[in-house]
Amino acid sequence: MRFRHLSTYALLVAAMPAVVHAQAQKTTRRPTPGAKLAAECTWKPADAWVKRQAEFFDESKHDWSNDSLRNALLEAAGLKAPLKVPVQFGVHLEGSDSTSPAGAAGMVDVLKKLAATRGSTWPTRSVVGAAGTHAVYLLVGLDTTLAKTALHRMMEAGPVESPAPDVATLEDRLRLLAGRKQIYGTQFRRGTDGKVQLAPMEDSAHADLRREGAALPPFKLGLCMAGKG
Amino acid sequence: MNSWLPSMRWPDRSATARALEIASDSPMTVSASAIGASACHVCSDISGVDSGGTAEGNAPIVGTWVISKDAGKNVLFIDGRVWKRGQPAGGLADKARELYGARNEEFIESIKAFAYFPIAVYKGLDNFENGEISVRFQMVGGTLDRAAGILFDVKPNGDYLTVRYNGTEDNVVLWTFNNGVRKFVNRAPTLTPLELGTWHTLKISVHGTQMKSWLDDQPMHDYTLPRTVAGKIGVWAKTDSMIEFADFTVTPMSK
Repeated sequence: MRFRHLSTYALLVAAMPAVVHAQAQKTTRRPTPGAKLAAECTWKPADAWVKRQAEFFDESKHDWSNDSLRNALLEAAGLKAPLKVPVQFGVHLEGSDSTSPAGAAGMVDVLKKLAATRGSTWPTRSVVGAAGTHAVYLLVGLDTTLAKTALHRMMEAGPVESPAPDVATLEDRLRLLAGRKQIYGTQFRRGTDGKVQLAPMEDSAHADLRREGAALPPFKLGLCMAGKG
Repeated sequence: MNSWLPSMRWPDRSATARALEIASDSPMTVSASAIGASACHVCSDISGVDSGGTAEGNAPIVGTWVISKDAGKNVLFIDGRVWKRGQPAGGLADKARELYGARNEEFIESIKAFAYFPIAVYKGLDNFENGEISVRFQMVGGTLDRAAGILFDVKPNGDYLTVRYNGTEDNVVLWTFNNGVRKFVNRAPTLTPLELGTWHTLKISVHGTQMKSWLDDQPMHDYTLPRTVAGKIGVWAKTDSMIEFADFTVTPMSK
């Protein structure tokens, strides 16, 4: 089954232009005149989750080993390093149109081969850099079978090597596809009335603990960004 | 059950409520580099907990263990959020020396090798050889792991066994940790998905070399160990797991 993936950035373009603008400006989001946005929809660079993402995606040391694979991943995913932080808001709308960049399919095949090869070097942070790992996240989302293996590899690699907010968002997506409930609250669906709804979730009481652990924004911010706030 | 010795339970909320309250207000951060005797919040008697959060005569801990509340009840919480950020407390050497005397260096080396795995060692029982150990647990979170285990056969050199449930794999597995190397021993055949935010019970029994395990009273393992066990016991977690533990119960039995 093919993911109909819409990246966080793309979703924000559709749902919250003002927030995207603020992200591009690397400033705290401030409501523009005439805009009515809930306070929960704002974030600051000093917010803990933003800082943690900034730490992970800091590539100033250039401490990865495989530049060619990294470049191929970034190109296939349509990314350009350095990535703007926050990279991952944990907002994914099911059924959104996928706009896979040209070459994505070829790199998905490369990742499939890596995933199928026991003992292969998975493209983690020390291999392809933090931006490369986000590219992996975007690409594996195009293939459910690959995504399952990739999630396992990402979890195994640990927090230094894998982007926690991407891992969390991917796990939620796969849980829903497997008929289970999501646990971070990153997945949304459009109801029959066209409104965005939170997909089924378990243990919402601890959602913010989990989201904090995964360097995702607070639940309220996620809901707000998905158009629920 | 033919128990020759009385069961011991921790936390004993009636006896330790005040201490736990103090601990809750002053959570400690203890990591792999701080395995020692001062960090247990869950032993049968932690009335010695002071305002700094230390407790005399209690368990050594790897990871960040704090007392948390669940429905008004004190529970032991392994907080993977803090582990991930790597804020270890110091004093590993002193604490290891306090625990294991002349063998502390061996213990330190082994524990460093297992820094990936938070543990809380129960000091109320020095040597568990036969009997039952159970603990209730609730998975709260963990991006990379959601693992809750029973620790047993803990040796002065840091070697140990654990039977754990992992919510990212839905299985119960027996692992051994020897000389800084973790090895898979046996996986229970049943996959059991558990919902986060719900309480479950993990139990093991050891009789000689026969080890059995249960998850919520469902049989998991019936396994023959290569040798008998003898050592300390406790609870175990993995990396960034956020798990609440409660009602740790050990029932030592005769051979």
